[in-house]
Amino acid sequence: MAPTYADGSFNFVNRLAYLRHEPRRGDVVGVRLTPPHGLSAPHIMFLKRVIGLPGEAISFVDGRARINGQPLLEPYEKGRCDWNRDPVTLGPDEYYVVGDNRTMPRPDQTFGQVKRSRIVGKALL
Amino acid sequence: MKCLRVLALAGVTALGVWVWIALHPSPEKLILNQLAGAAHAVSFGPGEGYLAKLTGAQRVGKFFSTNVEVQIDVPGHHEHRLAGRSEIQQAALAARASLKGLSVTLPDVTVIVNADGESAVADLALEARVAGETDMMVQEMKFALRKIDGRWLIVKVETVRTLSQ
Repeated sequence: MAPTYADGSFNFVNRLAYLRHEPRRGDVVGVRLTPPHGLSAPHIMFLKRVIGLPGEAISFVDGRARINGQPLLEPYEKGRCDWNRDPVTLGPDEYYVVGDNRTMPRPDQTFGQVKRSRIVGKALL
Repeated sequence: MKCLRVLALAGVTALGVWVWIALHPSPEKLILNQLAGAAHAVSFGPGEGYLAKLTGAQRVGKFFSTNVEVQIDVPGHHEHRLAGRSEIQQAALAARASLKGLSVTLPDVTVIVNADGESAVADLALEARVAGETDMMVQEMKFALRKIDGRWLIVKVETVRTLSQ
């Protein structure tokens, strides 16, 4: 999530943020690396921004994210990229998350669909 | 007096349970210990001599079955496949020869022992720090283990893409 959040930094994630509502577009969320098991909290998480909500089709055209074919305004995006990706339709419990720094080569990026159960909470600050 | 006897009996019972658990750890506990041991064996510090490198690489092999399969597919890197304990040991020796140091930890381990009691799967996050490099590597992984000759050995290792694309 550089430069919004530094690599390897300690950040707080509000685990109660999504008790009353589901993740929203633009939220920065903590995504657990390991499948949920019991009540144990993960020690390591990815911080990613939600750009796609359940049921939506997400694509990238010349570096611009599109939701159901419509360009997505992303003021938080740092650096242009040249990604092109065919539309991916999200399942009923899937979100599409991506980092803010899109200048990295696409193979080096960790982004894509994530199950709701892997979203731990919303990043604070 | 009666109260003291009851307390003493409860204390002895608790001690007995604790001793029983300590002497008969669950398969999950054994596997967690085995994985922690493997992470420790893979890690090494700077300044190892050749003999230490060699014995360290040999020790890594003890945690894997002879026919272990390893499949590493990390974004931004070429896919690596290793087959067999000897290839694991060669890779460990090569890492010791080329890196100044390596620290591997396995936080967030979830172990599920299969119904047969002889095989298990561990989902975990691997955290690796290479000496001299500022960035650490974090990767979701899946380990398959099998009880062979009374020991839980790793039979398969594969990387998992946390986010599907």
